[in-house]
Amino acid sequence: MSSLSASNLNSHNRGEVAVSIKDLNVVYKTTLEKRPTLKNRLLQFSSGKKQTRIVNAVQDFNLDISYGSVLGVVGANGAGKSTLMRSISGILPPTSGRIELYGSVSTLLALGVGFSQEMTGRDNVILGGLAAGLSRAEIDNKFDEIIDFAELREVIDAPMRTYSSGMYARLAFAVAVTVEPDILIIDEALSTGDAHFKMKSLNRVKDLRGHNRALILVSHALATIEEVCNEVIWLNKGKLIQKGDPVSVVAAYKKFLEVGSSPMIDEDV
Amino acid sequence: MSAIDVYEPFHRGLPPLKKYAKQLFGRRAFISEFAKSELRRQNFGSPLGQIWLVLNPLLLSAVYFLLIIIISGQTDSARYAHLTAGLFVFYLITNSITAGAKSITAGGRLILNSAFPRIMLPIAASVVALFKFIPTLIVLFAIHLILGLPITYALFWAIPLIFIFYMFSLACAILFSCINVYFRDTQNLLPYLTRTLLYLSPVLYESSALTEKLSILKTINPLYPMLDSWSRVMVKGELPFATDVFQSLIWTLALLAISSYLFLSREREFAVRI
Repeated sequence: MSSLSASNLNSHNRGEVAVSIKDLNVVYKTTLEKRPTLKNRLLQFSSGKKQTRIVNAVQDFNLDISYGSVLGVVGANGAGKSTLMRSISGILPPTSGRIELYGSVSTLLALGVGFSQEMTGRDNVILGGLAAGLSRAEIDNKFDEIIDFAELREVIDAPMRTYSSGMYARLAFAVAVTVEPDILIIDEALSTGDAHFKMKSLNRVKDLRGHNRALILVSHALATIEEVCNEVIWLNKGKLIQKGDPVSVVAAYKKFLEVGSSPMIDEDV
Repeated sequence: MSAIDVYEPFHRGLPPLKKYAKQLFGRRAFISEFAKSELRRQNFGSPLGQIWLVLNPLLLSAVYFLLIIIISGQTDSARYAHLTAGLFVFYLITNSITAGAKSITAGGRLILNSAFPRIMLPIAASVVALFKFIPTLIVLFAIHLILGLPITYALFWAIPLIFIFYMFSLACAILFSCINVYFRDTQNLLPYLTRTLLYLSPVLYESSALTEKLSILKTINPLYPMLDSWSRVMVKGELPFATDVFQSLIWTLALLAISSYLFLSREREFAVRI
């Protein structure tokens, strides 16, 4: 459900490095089919069609993220935002370069998270926590807080297939923020759920900002990025285009979205 | 300040094995909790569910025994014991293969969201298969007593043999979990594969019944020496042949090494293939 890379939570000083990324490149091979099958592979093989493609998802990326900061990440679909977050979380290790983490990480990366739809919400919280490296005692200690924050006490013992997408998102968000990580990565999750939960989760993020955590927020909701973040990076086709204060980076990104190009992307202009 | 976690490129496509093993050991609670949750989900936590766990292979063995009576006219009790013992342990392997094949693709959301040693998913699937197998041992023991089969010290050989069977089923679970990521129709082929394996193994027939022409099966089928040893111990109360045990061990270790290497060298890609 969420990932916590280390359970020893430390207090950190504002400005201390939380994440250091050096010369990061992430390349992977993926299939062209949504659901690859042996049957299709054999058919394609006989017809000589290409079956996989190489994706240069992140290229020559360098960044330091400090404690006490909220880093916003913007970029069009396919810009490499999710891949970058997965690399920072250790889910997709680098092809070259190095990522150093100076604290525990909790991730909320995929929409509609949950381990098994057939298992109950309770089992999903426990299994997700154990997979992320938490102990059973740590999960038990936080369990009530998680289901109260998610407002799912009445349905926590129902199979997760009976949950709506909003309920999924609420439970996942509750786990990710309740485990008190040093570094929290949220990918698009704030844009799910109803207005009440959106406000509640936004307040929780603002609250965490005050506790000298490092937060990374990936979102297409530019107003939220401007409101919550104190630094923003803009990615395009796996490259860092701009880094700076939220107002200027978001303005440049908006302009790019309107005209489809930017002097910073068309670097020869 | 030193970093808590460092992520660097894999060396020769493999994750750092020492760190990987440490993380896997640290998450052993996941494996037991997953097995409990999965058995609960499949209603095996209730008394009726546990009865079904035993009744299902028992009914299957009855059906196959009927088939044997019709085809060969043999009705001796040792034959029934051989069939039941073989089927129960064969189901440990097929259950492990079936659950293992789905383990990575079904755990997609967890894989997309968390960093953990992926191999713990097929391991957990094989542990569920082992938990389903254990109650059938009680039934086997009851059949042994009812049919008056010999009780000798050789029966203690059942323990290392079960260990070999489990390790083999684990290797199969790891292998098929990886293959299923790349070819999602693997699951559709599994019923045919396991059924063929059943007919090529000494379950429905005894090893001695195999004609000279088909004796190659003893060499190329990894389950052959395992199941033959199992039947000698559990039905006849005799010691297994040393060559069969050795051959079983070699097959198991080789398959475990190959499947683990294949899995570990591919697991980085799982997050972008699911």
